Amino acid sequence: MSRQVLAGLLGGVLLVTAAGCGIPGQTEVRVEGPGPAAETGTSSGGRSEPPSRTAADSREEFVDNFLAAAAGEPGGAYDRVSEFVVPEDRARLPRKEGSEVALTVVRLLAEPVIVPGPEEIQVTLTVQQVGQLTADGVLAPPEATPATYEFGLRPYAPEGGDDIEWYVTNPPNVLLLNVEALQEYYKSRTIYYWSSDRLRLVPDQRYLALAVPEDRLVSEVVRWLVGGHSAWLKRAISGLPDGTNLINNATRTDDRWEVNLDMAGADSTRLNLLATQLVWSLPELTGQLELKIRNQSQVTIKDVGEHRRLNPVYRVDTIPQPFCVYEGAIRSLGPTAAPMTTAENHKVLSAGISYSGQRTLAALAVEAGDGRQRLAVEAGSAPLTSFTASQETFQTVGRPVWLRSAHPQQPVGLVAADDRLYRFDEAAKLEPVQLSLGGVTAVAGSLDGHRLAIVSDGELYLAAVSHDGDTLAVGPPRRTHTSLSGLTAVDWYGENSLVVAGSKGGKRVLYEVDVDGSRETKLHVTGAVVTHLAAYPAHPEAPYGIVMYEANDVAYQGFPFERITPDQVRDLAPNDAQTSDPSAPFLLF
Amino acid sequence: MANSLVPDSTTNGSPRRLGAGELWRAVGGWGARLVAGLHQGWRRSLQVRVVTITLLASSLLVGGFAYLIADKITSILLENAEADVQDRLNSGAAYAAKQLGLYHKPEEAQFQETVDGTVNYLAGGGPQQATGVVVALIADNAEGVIQPRTAPAVDNFGSLISPELRATVAAGEVASQISTGRLGETDTKYLTYGSPVPTQFGQVELYYLVPLTRQDATAADARATVVGTGIALVVLLGLLAALVTRLVVLPVRVAARTAQRLSAGLLDQRMAVNGEDDLALLAESFNQMATNLQRQILRLEEMSRLQRRFTSDVSHELRTPLTTVRMAADLIFAERDEFDPAVARSAELLQTELDRFEELLTDLLEISRFDAGFAALDAEPTDLVPVVHRVVGRLACLAERVGVTVELDLPGGPVIAEVDPRRVERVLRNLVGNAVEHGEGRPVHITLGADETAVAVTVRDRGLGLKPGEEKLIFNRFWRADPSRARQTGGTGLGLSISLEDARLHRGWLEAWGAPGQGAQFRLTLPARAGDRLTSSPLRLVPADVRLPCGGPREGGLLAIGPGSAGALTVGPAPTDGAEARP
Repeated sequence: MSRQVLAGLLGGVLLVTAAGCGIPGQTEVRVEGPGPAAETGTSSGGRSEPPSRTAADSREEFVDNFLAAAAGEPGGAYDRVSEFVVPEDRARLPRKEGSEVALTVVRLLAEPVIVPGPEEIQVTLTVQQVGQLTADGVLAPPEATPATYEFGLRPYAPEGGDDIEWYVTNPPNVLLLNVEALQEYYKSRTIYYWSSDRLRLVPDQRYLALAVPEDRLVSEVVRWLVGGHSAWLKRAISGLPDGTNLINNATRTDDRWEVNLDMAGADSTRLNLLATQLVWSLPELTGQLELKIRNQSQVTIKDVGEHRRLNPVYRVDTIPQPFCVYEGAIRSLGPTAAPMTTAENHKVLSAGISYSGQRTLAALAVEAGDGRQRLAVEAGSAPLTSFTASQETFQTVGRPVWLRSAHPQQPVGLVAADDRLYRFDEAAKLEPVQLSLGGVTAVAGSLDGHRLAIVSDGELYLAAVSHDGDTLAVGPPRRTHTSLSGLTAVDWYGENSLVVAGSKGGKRVLYEVDVDGSRETKLHVTGAVVTHLAAYPAHPEAPYGIVMYEANDVAYQGFPFERITPDQVRDLAPNDAQTSDPSAPFLLF
Repeated sequence: MANSLVPDSTTNGSPRRLGAGELWRAVGGWGARLVAGLHQGWRRSLQVRVVTITLLASSLLVGGFAYLIADKITSILLENAEADVQDRLNSGAAYAAKQLGLYHKPEEAQFQETVDGTVNYLAGGGPQQATGVVVALIADNAEGVIQPRTAPAVDNFGSLISPELRATVAAGEVASQISTGRLGETDTKYLTYGSPVPTQFGQVELYYLVPLTRQDATAADARATVVGTGIALVVLLGLLAALVTRLVVLPVRVAARTAQRLSAGLLDQRMAVNGEDDLALLAESFNQMATNLQRQILRLEEMSRLQRRFTSDVSHELRTPLTTVRMAADLIFAERDEFDPAVARSAELLQTELDRFEELLTDLLEISRFDAGFAALDAEPTDLVPVVHRVVGRLACLAERVGVTVELDLPGGPVIAEVDPRRVERVLRNLVGNAVEHGEGRPVHITLGADETAVAVTVRDRGLGLKPGEEKLIFNRFWRADPSRARQTGGTGLGLSISLEDARLHRGWLEAWGAPGQGAQFRLTLPARAGDRLTSSPLRLVPADVRLPCGGPREGGLLAIGPGSAGALTVGPAPTDGAEARP
């Protein structure tokens, strides 16, 4: 009997061994513990967004709202605009996805003409095409050409309400955005790319919708950086390697931002450059920044502010020294003496002097006799003693400018002479610059040395430029559409803004304009044609720019603009007649 | 094995059910035989018992340990996988919370892209990753607004995440479950972990589905190894037990066989002595014992042989002088009338004692012949009826003298058997002479019976009878029931011994029954054909008219002795059969 018991036990044990100790195919739900608790949001969502269709109380307001409707995140632009359009006409709107979304930015040259008709109200817009706002925040040159847009308004009275609403009928087949709405619902941001020699940071202007929460700012900026620069900067800029991508969003843990990238051929040099780019492109950023490549931490910046301080964008004096030409010689308007000997300091018409490292670069437009003008150039330590005069002489020589190159040993200057743009070196050797523009009357170089502002035939153009010491390559110029006409002078007034002199509404004015032409700010009414214009651009370490100009043979400096009187001129020579006014003012920095 | 028992349906032609029944019976019979064989093996073989017990006990132990080890391995594997997944889940949930926490509402642009990116990132990159891990992000509380996403993209992940798990996780708990499902081509066990991911607009749920294929395979491998090792261990232990038992049992068997041979008379059988261990000691002792026994037996045999030889020699040596004495005594006896009466009386006494002496010598010689093995059976077909008549006729004068009547109960026809008539007559003469002598004057009854295989003669007297136990003793040489009792016929004391030897020579039986006060009965049973083996006798040993202590059987019936209750024997009436069967 014990045998049966034993056999039973044995069988049971074998069965249990064979079947009982595998991984079960199905188990009960096991609660491991409470899930992570939600953290309270630090920032509020839903920042300013354009008003909806029903928010308008008048036809004029409705039209304004319609021109602002596209503002916001690009993905929802079509939906927002189509809300304003009668359903049967919505098909006329371009429906694009993702990166193809582009808003047509226009400047209203006049108030919209609203003419009530028998059935519909006819609206006519007279516009200036400013550009195409693409999904990556670039305001690209305009593709559309129409100067007027027409569409209808259909009144609509919803049931149970006294208000009258409208719908847009027969809308234009673009998503229109007024420049005012661009100012109101977007924030202009400057992001930086490395120049082609990776020595200078080149600003690139972008627009970020205010609807985007602050938390996503870092991610958006990183996406811009990896997505590529504006097209017109191509000549000047080296981008990130192809296929570089942001993996998900940049995230913040306490005071530390993590940016996870997918990047081919990433080394620490490359990443440090990228980190500097990021740090400058995100001026709000504080604390730490960690760069990861495919989740591997590569570069950590312990203190973003310190990093900015150690890696400044520009190495320029924060206080420019004003100078002017007085009695044919360069005279100081400030504490610094003219950086040249008296022997060389005569017959000067205008001058462009700048510091390049320890050297002082000076280019002077001087009288060559017979009513001709020529260029005299000298580079070296102040005081400069022996200027080299150019072989060529010209009818007129504009104010020469030095390109703020990263190669101080081989400085390059630019000058507009006889409606052409020339480059020159320290030996005063002039060479015409290959440019598709004619009638060049003024040129200005940016602080980074890779962007040029050119006035050609009274229009404003921008071009990227690269200079590697020997060759100077100027990219295709891009026209900036401003509301001014007959531009005479230009200089850089900020990283992305210019000061231009032209006429508007029959008045001679000084305007500050953005490089893409979207923003225009009147600075001054000059009353006369501005012949010389010099500015010290605002930049991260110098929040305000300085402008000096000459109009009607009188020099002014701001702000507020005041006439420069002869008694402001320092180190006057005894033989100076003191009969004329100071002219051709400029800033040395 | 059972297949051979399947009846051929073509020749059988019977319905399948019948075939199945036969098969079943065959299997049952085979099983019963197997069980019987096993049982017999269990009872007979010490080795089988030891090996079986070892196998069973070691199977239990090894099985228990195997279960523990396999279970432990599985649970360790599972715990590792769980810890791994939980770590990944925690970090994944934290990552997803950071990523999704950047959004204030799910309708925001790029939210769905972030969901996709997060899931892809957590799954470890692109779809080329072949770890099989599936990461799913589900918004059970905001369905419709947020599209659930998995990486790598699978359609039916919902079948792997049970509604209970989803409900638990949606309620804000981290939970896990193992479930079996099919995402690829085969069913796979998945360890599913879910965690809520808090966002600014509510909660989404993150799930990790980790296939347990590797763990399952490893567990199966471990299990197979453990089971294989266990089985090998059990088999080895069994073999070991068999070997050890064999080491002990083999010498014991040899000893048993040797003892059997010894007991069968092969006295020179010895065990082989190997080494100096206990078994060698046993063998040595056994051999010593056998040697002693052999010596003793041989000595006894020698003594016995010498004794028999002495008897024979003495008998032969006495015969010659006795013949001379006899001749002289015959001469004196013939001339006794001429002597004075006292001498004449002495001559008569001499003659009588010489007769007895001669008779004793004859019997001694006969016994010697039996002992020496010289006795030969001279069998021939003989009618036993005249033999009985002849014996009765020869003893008629003695019977008349003691006043005993001899009653004969003989069959009507001849009773033929292959016997040695001289020896049978001697046996009968001895038996009838004894009966007449001890008959106390009461009649002596002689019965002759026969059947196909045997003939029998019973001789019944009604004298003093035999005490219990004397039935065997009376066949001993020179045995007397009452040594002080006066001898009337002057028998030698060897008659019944010789009769017994004669009966044995015929391969027959000579038996006695007797009870005090009821007389005695002797039965001679002989085979009808010489050399046949006897199985029963045609006549009963115990007379029918005997009074038995328990009241006896029914009128003329037999008495039966059989097993009773509580191990006792019961004695009662037997079924009325004509003959008695000897056990």
